[in-house]
Amino acid sequence: MTRKQKRLAVIAGGVGVLGVAVLLVLFALQEQIVYFHSPTDIAEKPVNPGTRIRLGGLVAENSVARGQGTTVEFAVTDTANTVEITYTGILPDLFREGQGVVVEGAFRPDNALFVADTVLAKHDETYMPKEVADSLKKQGVWQGNEE
Amino acid sequence: MIVELGHYALVMALAVALIQSVLPVIGSIRQDAGLMALAPAAAVTSFFLVLLAFIALTVSYVTSDFSVQNVWENSHSLKPMIYKISGVWGNHEGSMLLWILILVFFSALVAFFGGNLPAALKANALAVQAWITAAFLFFVLLTSNPFQRLNPAPIEGRDLNPILQDVGLAIHPPLLYLGYVGFSICFSFAIAALIDGRIDAAWARWVRPWTLAAWTALTAGIAMGSYWAYYELGWGGWWFWDPVENASFMPWLAGTALLHSALVMEKREALKIWTVLLAIITFSLSLLGTFLVRSGVLTSVHAFATDPTRGVFILGILVVFIGGAFSLFALRAQSLKQGGLFAPISREGALVLNNLFLTTATLTVLVGTLYPLVLEAVTGSKISVGPPFFNLTFGPLMVPLLLAVPFGPLLAWKRGDLLAVSQRLYAAAGVSLLTALAVVYFATGAPVLAALGIAMGVWLICGSLTDLAYRAGAGRVDLQVMWQRFKGLPRSAFGTALAHLGLGVSVIGIVAVTAFSTELVTTMKQGGQTVSGPYTLVFEGLRPNTGPNYTELQGRFAVSRDGEQFATVTSAKRIYTARRMPTTEAGILTIGPSQLYVSLGDETPDGGTVVRVWWKPWVTFIWIGTIIMSVGGIVSLFDRRLRVGAPAASRKRAAAAEQAI
Amino acid sequence: MMFWVLAAVLTVAATISLLVPLARTVSRQDNATEHDAEVYYDQLREIDRDIEAGLIAGEEAEYARAEVGRRLLKATNANAKSRPGSSLSSAARYVVIVFLPVMAVIGYLAIGKPGMPAQPLAARIQAPANDETDIRTLIAQAESHLASNPGDGWGWDVLAPIYLNLGRAGDAETAYRNAIRLLGSSASRQAGLGRALFAESGGIVTAEAQAAFQAAEDLEPGNPLSSFFLALGLAQEGNYAGAKAAFEKLAANSPPDAPWMPQVQAHLKGINANLAAAGEAAPGPDEEDVAAAMEMSPEDRMAMIGGMVDGLDARLRDNPDDLDGWLRLVRSYMVLGEPEKAGDALDRALLNFEDGSAGRLALTKAAEQFGLTPQRVE
Repeated sequence: MTRKQKRLAVIAGGVGVLGVAVLLVLFALQEQIVYFHSPTDIAEKPVNPGTRIRLGGLVAENSVARGQGTTVEFAVTDTANTVEITYTGILPDLFREGQGVVVEGAFRPDNALFVADTVLAKHDETYMPKEVADSLKKQGVWQGNEE
Repeated sequence: MIVELGHYALVMALAVALIQSVLPVIGSIRQDAGLMALAPAAAVTSFFLVLLAFIALTVSYVTSDFSVQNVWENSHSLKPMIYKISGVWGNHEGSMLLWILILVFFSALVAFFGGNLPAALKANALAVQAWITAAFLFFVLLTSNPFQRLNPAPIEGRDLNPILQDVGLAIHPPLLYLGYVGFSICFSFAIAALIDGRIDAAWARWVRPWTLAAWTALTAGIAMGSYWAYYELGWGGWWFWDPVENASFMPWLAGTALLHSALVMEKREALKIWTVLLAIITFSLSLLGTFLVRSGVLTSVHAFATDPTRGVFILGILVVFIGGAFSLFALRAQSLKQGGLFAPISREGALVLNNLFLTTATLTVLVGTLYPLVLEAVTGSKISVGPPFFNLTFGPLMVPLLLAVPFGPLLAWKRGDLLAVSQRLYAAAGVSLLTALAVVYFATGAPVLAALGIAMGVWLICGSLTDLAYRAGAGRVDLQVMWQRFKGLPRSAFGTALAHLGLGVSVIGIVAVTAFSTELVTTMKQGGQTVSGPYTLVFEGLRPNTGPNYTELQGRFAVSRDGEQFATVTSAKRIYTARRMPTTEAGILTIGPSQLYVSLGDETPDGGTVVRVWWKPWVTFIWIGTIIMSVGGIVSLFDRRLRVGAPAASRKRAAAAEQAI
Repeated sequence: MMFWVLAAVLTVAATISLLVPLARTVSRQDNATEHDAEVYYDQLREIDRDIEAGLIAGEEAEYARAEVGRRLLKATNANAKSRPGSSLSSAARYVVIVFLPVMAVIGYLAIGKPGMPAQPLAARIQAPANDETDIRTLIAQAESHLASNPGDGWGWDVLAPIYLNLGRAGDAETAYRNAIRLLGSSASRQAGLGRALFAESGGIVTAEAQAAFQAAEDLEPGNPLSSFFLALGLAQEGNYAGAKAAFEKLAANSPPDAPWMPQVQAHLKGINANLAAAGEAAPGPDEEDVAAAMEMSPEDRMAMIGGMVDGLDARLRDNPDDLDGWLRLVRSYMVLGEPEKAGDALDRALLNFEDGSAGRLALTKAAEQFGLTPQRVE
């Protein structure tokens, strides 16, 4: 092979790998990303049951109730709207009423209850998940100490 | 007084860095030996100045000097001594100071061990280091000064976030920074070479030990961070594809590529432009990581001490350095001469393949990490890109790469014989396939993918051993000669083999945990029992306990197999007194290479306790593998050849050269 | 002074270390190509070793040697020698001597605090207490003692009430809990814990506080402290009948000149007033109101709260003896961010309570807590 051919081979290989990677990325971005919603977003524009979303807000006061065994029910609110959540598992240490959380999961087909499989509360007591902070600021409820 | 002296030293370090930024460059342009010799002296001086500042801050922490705002915000007089010290870098200001300390430490190392470097290269590289140092010193002094004082001093501090009160903090950030910041040397060498216009095979050899050192530290740092998150967060996961993790993983991927492409450049003078570009990219990714972690622009489960306003400053530094470097690169890349030729099937070809896959993988991680930012800026919708994305994009790219690894070291330079190499690898392939069959057989119903994944790990291990055996002359010479040769092999050969072997071990751990771990969440009352993997856990109840700065409720579990109790495992829910912050301490029982992981939850109204139990077979292989990889890096570092270049020209060598030509 | 001496030493040391390479006459001139050549010699030796080990065969080895040889030739042909220190070096010397100290001193003066000494905690604690016997220093001493002996229950027991009196309710709670854990439960510790929790929640007998007071009551039935707070808790729940009975029982069991009697009487008065008014209007928001408040927009909620406060204000004009009501009103105005109205309410409240009465005391205390100064103090 000449120098030119070899270089072409390398370039062709590179483009091939890159092409596969781009296809994978595009496919994955279509299928695997999770949108973030606030309870108000959901009230305004309901999400299809079964679609995985992230939902953020404050844990509503007096909403946490332990159900059967390891199942917990609580509500996430941005003070304007509230979504009921059911979750099975161990809640994070800093999960408290009034604390900001992000839950991930999907609405049940009857669209009443949000079944979460992940509950995130940051491991820092002054922390407010960024998305939650933004959406609460939009509601005018939370004055962050960042600005 | 020590506090203010440290502060003064830090300001003076900036002055020294500014001198070191300018004069050596002038010296290298004008070929002035004096000005060039200034660079190493200034590098060592600023190292000692920053060290003094760092010691001053550490002393303030150790003596609980709450007149220093940083100490007051992050320390407490009741904290155990080790956390007082590690608390120095458990916050934004202190960790930036550590960042700079490591930066000037590397500069000082270049000054000290750089006797084999041409004076101009050394002077320019150290000047570029000084640019970075000066930029970050400005950043620290102007926006994140750890020496802010409080008067009058508060009587008690606000304590360090309890999550950070762990040995993990003592080890993980320093190692990680050694890696992150170590790549600055590669960057500086690349810029220096571009300024100087001399980029040749010798340059690659001089860059390699620094790449290797940084890579080794980063490997260990990432592994340490992963294990820390694994046992501290109590979620049982060891990698979350979290932005902060990706921020450290991207420089690692690019650095790994750099390590391999520098090899090609050193041996064959090929891939020059690419290697220089990679050196710039790798450190740019380190800077990007620092920015992402510090600014808090991305939501992360690990990030502490973030401050968006300061992020802008780092973004500025990022733009100037990356933009400047790429401009210089674009300006000079044309003038670089082509290097040696090679066939697609050759050692070079294999290394190009390695680079291709690693950089593409870096790119997918970069896309996944930054996509949420871009999308929010463009459309305003908020998304999160989680593990499924990365598993789908990063995973497939790794498979061909891992399959190709054993071929690389066995292929000849320039033109290789794939068939011959395949023959040498028959044994390795055979063992791997047998392993796959064995996995399927023993774990009845085992997924085929898992079996193949484990076989891949075995393939990597056997492949690297095959490489060593071949180099020692297995099959061609008798055992005694083989042993002699084996002992005589260059250290880097062992380094390569160890690194590839470690990779295989990690792969086995990752596949085994992904495929075979079991998880269960249940409510247990005292005396109740549950089964996890082959073990039975009996809950012995909760009891209170007090530590130096916390109180906790411990849950004890007796672990038995086949009715025979052989260990207990304890998980706890802690409350740290100063911040009144609750944490969960996972109970981890290591059984062989596997682990039983127990995490306590809340108490239920009916008097039970929520308990989460994982059985994680072979999980420790993940970190054992990375340790082996790091050891491989260290072994390579001791290769004699990496220190060559100091002129001690003797007639004999000249004669050897004449003979060669 | 000492600081500047050390700073000067540091400056001089740094300056000299930078001047040394500039002053040194370079003995051997560095030639960049020699470094390169050295690397290539080594590569040649490596090829030799590989041949010896049988890793590369004859022809390939020859090619490799030739390639490295060409590099070597190229490197040795180029010749760039650096010049020893010249006029540039002396110019650089001045730059270093002037720039380094000036920049360091000016930069430091702009952001540093040169005169400020380090203040390690240990030194501050060991320093003899000044004339005022700084209580904070004493506490710090006790804290550092407890840091090294966290199992010293008596230490916690002594410290706990001090914290409580200083208003450090959270620390008091921790100290009481530690004392209870280490020394066992006692009526005074449980009652103290209850008071700490009471203070932490801003003057509300929470369920947790109630449990602590109940524990104290169980250990020592009729303990006036726990009886008093349990009664107050009932009143705060809106159980005025129960509260009345509890306060009356406490009054009956106490000597008439007991220090808490005025407080008890004041509360009884307020409760009676509430009981009288109970028929017409509920004293506080009921659950439905609260639930409604949760769903309102912030503005609406503020309006609703404002309405309730106005109602309370109006009711107090008719029932001016209700101490709890007045306290609640002052606090509500403060929470709503209307300190003038709070001050006004305070003044009106003070009119109804004599000098030296328990009610007056409670009001002045509340005023202090909110940073209010009564306008019309006779």
